[in-house]
Amino acid sequence: MDNLEYLFAANIFVWGGIFYYLFRIKRYQQSLQNDLDLIKEAVKKGSQDE
Amino acid sequence: MSDEKQENSSILTWLTVIAFLLAMVAIFVYVPTEQTEGAVQRIMYFHIPAAWLAFFAFFVVFLCSILFLWKKEREWDIYALASAEIGVIFCSLVLITGPIWARPIWGAWWVWDARLTSTLILWLIYVSYLMLRYQTDMGSMRARFAAVLGIVGFLDIPFIHFSVLWWRTFHPPPKMISSEGLGAGMDPSMVSTLLLSLAAFTLLYFVLMGQRVKVEMMRDEVERLKKDHLYSN
Repeated sequence: MDNLEYLFAANIFVWGGIFYYLFRIKRYQQSLQNDLDLIKEAVKKGSQDE
Repeated sequence: MSDEKQENSSILTWLTVIAFLLAMVAIFVYVPTEQTEGAVQRIMYFHIPAAWLAFFAFFVVFLCSILFLWKKEREWDIYALASAEIGVIFCSLVLITGPIWARPIWGAWWVWDARLTSTLILWLIYVSYLMLRYQTDMGSMRARFAAVLGIVGFLDIPFIHFSVLWWRTFHPPPKMISSEGLGAGMDPSMVSTLLLSLAAFTLLYFVLMGQRVKVEMMRDEVERLKKDHLYSN
């Protein structure tokens, strides 16, 4: 009574869930960092034009 | 992020990776296969720590929500939101790994017993919490409503813990914390493996919290810069 396929499935869900969440956080951080860089550049340009 | 903070975060991440590697060796190599359930019993070493992490995360939501309502500081709201999201992720993993274990052992994916049903209710409460958080048209009321829901939702956790003692349920009674003592009736290798896995999941919580809080801080910074420089022109 080993039912290894169930153990395998549980592992896939646990690791898949953890890595997907980490990946999503990292992607979001990257997108926010891009936004921050763009805004800071726009602010810098604006202050130079004045 | 300051250099010191970044260094601490990196040390914590490496500690978590090492703890998980040790836990995996313990789960798949060190601990003996349980005689009646077979290899599928090893799911317990993921299922119980995921449940612990979810409950711990919701406890943090409870604490931070009280502090937010009391002090009205955005910082506590950020911690509550980050912790709720992590709690929902791990509560989902509990609700997935439980039925995967139950199918070969009970012969059914799901039974409507007190432990399973109250855990599903907990998950639904905090999913509603997140749905409320992502509503954008409620302004400052959103954080206050969410804080109240975060506090009320936590009251389900003692109910979940004691449900297996108060009613006759399919779900096994607590193995680690019982009236006979910590890990009583369990093989010492199973206790140490479970403790190692619990430690690894707890470290993971702090890694995820650090990253998730950073996202909210960055989002606030973007909003502040947009408001101060772009929308004012």
